[in-house]
Amino acid sequence: MKTNPVRSMVFGIALAVLCAGPAQAQFNKFVVVGDSLAAGEESNCIVERFQERSWARLAAGLLQQDFQQPLFAEQVATNPPTGYPCLGPILSGASISVGIVSQQGPNQNIQLGRPYDNLGFNGSPHIKDFVDLKTTVPGRSDLDNKAAAILRNCTGCPFEGLSAVDEANSLAPDLVGFWGGNNDALDALGAGAAIEGVTLTPVDAFTAKYEEVIEALSVSGRTLVVFNVPDIGAVPFVTTIPPVVVDPATRQPVLINGNPVPLLGPGDAAFPCEPVPPDQGCPLPPGTLVNLQAQPLLASGFGIPMALGGSGLPLPHGVFTPPATFTPGVILYPDDVTSIRDHVDGYNAAIAASASANGAILVDIHTLFDQVAAQGYTIGGITVTTSFITGGIFSYDGVHPSPIGYGIVADEFVKALNAAKGTNIPRPNFSQILFTPNVPSVGPPAPVTTVHADHGTRTVARGGTE
Amino acid sequence: MTQRPQVAFRCRASRVFLAFLAVGWLIAAPATPSGFQVMTQGARATGMGLAFTGVADDPSAVFFNPAGMGFQEHFSIMIGGSVLGRKKADFEGADPFPGEGTSGSVQKQEFVIPLVYVVVPLTSELNFGLGVNSPYGLGLRWNDPENWAGRFISQNAVIKSLDINPVFSYKLFPELSIAAGADLRFSKVQLERNSNLGIVDPFGGEVQDLAHVKLNSSLTSNTGWGWNVGLMFKPIPEIGVGVAYRSKITVDYDGTAVFTQRFTGNPVIDGLVGQLLPQGEHPVATSVAFPASLNTGVGIELPAGFLLALEADWTEWSSFSALNIHFPDGVAPDLDRATLWKDSWAYRVGLEKKFASGWALRAGYYYDNTPQPEKDVGPILADNDRNVYSAGFGYNTPEWGIDVGGLYIRFKDRSVLTESTDNFFGRYSEDAWVGTASFRLSF
Repeated sequence: MKTNPVRSMVFGIALAVLCAGPAQAQFNKFVVVGDSLAAGEESNCIVERFQERSWARLAAGLLQQDFQQPLFAEQVATNPPTGYPCLGPILSGASISVGIVSQQGPNQNIQLGRPYDNLGFNGSPHIKDFVDLKTTVPGRSDLDNKAAAILRNCTGCPFEGLSAVDEANSLAPDLVGFWGGNNDALDALGAGAAIEGVTLTPVDAFTAKYEEVIEALSVSGRTLVVFNVPDIGAVPFVTTIPPVVVDPATRQPVLINGNPVPLLGPGDAAFPCEPVPPDQGCPLPPGTLVNLQAQPLLASGFGIPMALGGSGLPLPHGVFTPPATFTPGVILYPDDVTSIRDHVDGYNAAIAASASANGAILVDIHTLFDQVAAQGYTIGGITVTTSFITGGIFSYDGVHPSPIGYGIVADEFVKALNAAKGTNIPRPNFSQILFTPNVPSVGPPAPVTTVHADHGTRTVARGGTE
Repeated sequence: MTQRPQVAFRCRASRVFLAFLAVGWLIAAPATPSGFQVMTQGARATGMGLAFTGVADDPSAVFFNPAGMGFQEHFSIMIGGSVLGRKKADFEGADPFPGEGTSGSVQKQEFVIPLVYVVVPLTSELNFGLGVNSPYGLGLRWNDPENWAGRFISQNAVIKSLDINPVFSYKLFPELSIAAGADLRFSKVQLERNSNLGIVDPFGGEVQDLAHVKLNSSLTSNTGWGWNVGLMFKPIPEIGVGVAYRSKITVDYDGTAVFTQRFTGNPVIDGLVGQLLPQGEHPVATSVAFPASLNTGVGIELPAGFLLALEADWTEWSSFSALNIHFPDGVAPDLDRATLWKDSWAYRVGLEKKFASGWALRAGYYYDNTPQPEKDVGPILADNDRNVYSAGFGYNTPEWGIDVGGLYIRFKDRSVLTESTDNFFGRYSEDAWVGTASFRLSF
């Protein structure tokens, strides 16, 4: 019996197609661009322990991609730290506070001869930096220092002259995730003031740069997934400390005649202050946010009326002195909050419009985190919340997500991709995410004092996503 | 006076979770008809695939179609019961939670539910009947409850009910009987699961079992009222057409919630959880709407001693649309949860062969649609469409009779892979059986 090879081949191909099941988009190269939320920063640093549990790494695993990252070693913290300090829980008697538990070490994957697949970098990059920061200058700024370690585009470095977007495009990916623009608004949280053009990028300027970024990343045949900017109400950095005096023993507000006692601030244009001696500050209006950097000041009596044992001095509000001097504060008055939210809304409108115009998939992280902030996130009967330290979703800097938070982000990424492309990429395994401890991979640090962010400088705990 | 940002174990987050832990518990697993309904309320009916609304010619008519009492001329009493059990009930997990490779199984429990019926002819047209039975209930207790992946949703869920159903029938014409009655339902719920109290280990960031919570209520103190009516039309003696309706019954439960700490071994965490956890018993209240049902059937006596019964039953499960949990003392916030159940239909056929000796053999089949949408399926209740096969036998004389029937229930496997209210994904498979026996005396 003779066989017809052509007919056999056609039959074989047909059989293979039939057996292949539903058609799936195949991704050959996955690259991520963005800020610290893309890099996987947690607890104020980027180390391998965090990078391996970031949303980008989780997504790459689910996509079965080789995903090269700049893996930073986690080291025993020195006193003073020689690397960026990593925060963690510190037991103080029966209370838990946040302190340095390790520090960021050298990049263990620095020899990679091509750009990393994860091009997220910290240092508080703004939207413009993803296309404009083509050559970093170490020593020039915190941003340059941190970006240089990941983009490797400093003078004389392998990718000099290439921005993050340029490096991503050089890898010719067919799937790109982009999460940037957060710091354009959220920097105001750490600055303690919402000032257009200083701590907030004007919406028009943001829109123009965002479109430039997205257009540069939009290539025929490529799938682009973008994230929008979360609301400040989901960030424990500014939702943990209430704007009223709290009894440290009971952790409940101090009540005078049944009413809580507001902390003191210097006032701003919308809430002018005329102090009533002996206090030198005025009560913070309801709706004021106090960031975690206020902790050491409160411990010193700042913001607390003298009648309650405080110094009567106001908690500082961020002040801009032209032409270029900015002194950060620790409080956001309601008008600051409104301004930040207006900017976030403006950014997100620009992100949605740009995504739509360029055929990108939008992950609405803003809506998700609003829901999570209000109700918690429940999976399998387990609820985690945005509460600081114990809620489970945010890390110990109160700004960046924890592995659980990044797991939720990875899940949203996969769900959005599957919904838009008809793919069947598996969702993350939350059993591993929820039940795996996230503890330093090194021994205890050298004795150091608990981290208290310097009021006059911006060191450890930051408001932006870096 | 200073402040500290270490808002460890904030009460607000914990209270939110305390409410979550209660939601959805007020359902139990099925073993017979859809949802948590139990229709095996007579041995003859069980043997005939529960197609009995158009037959209803023994005292179990009080339940299946009280208008059937109108054609019964003797004082009769029937006692018996059903044993309900699972052959298997297994779960295989899927991503994202609890993940591929995880599994669970339900304990092979047996449940015994009693039945008592009395039919009392008062006049040649008027009959009185009384039924005591359990038309709703069952339970679902998972094996290895402290390690099972769904322990944060449910380790054990139980509903018990006991109905007292007085009813009158009246024979309007020789061919037509109608009936109406009242239905008093006693019910209890018992619900258990573990909780992470809405917090994670502050030192490692991972989830731990921090508490066990048990909700319980008394059978005798939680009641609801309903009513039922029936119609039986026999144009000729060999054909019966029956319609029976039972109203929705809402039971408002008042019970207790008890929170028991699960120690982690870390004295700091354990100490803080101990401060957080509500101590003692706390009141909890909820409400369950047991659905209305409309059963329609026909019984046809065929030559050679055969009886064919056909039936279509509708159950208004859409009334079971939500669960509202209320903690009167504020130990946890109130919570509402949509269940999104749909009305369901069951289609039944039964056959009986009577021999001149008094013996009878029976067989039946029914197909029952689940009212539970895929999104609501979870460790508390994983219902699905089912094929049910029945068989039975009996020996009856005019003065007494004994009947035995059984069901084998083959649930279709159910996969929850896309949407889940509990965010708990996987595949459920279950087989169950029911045996029913009854003894009748007539005077």
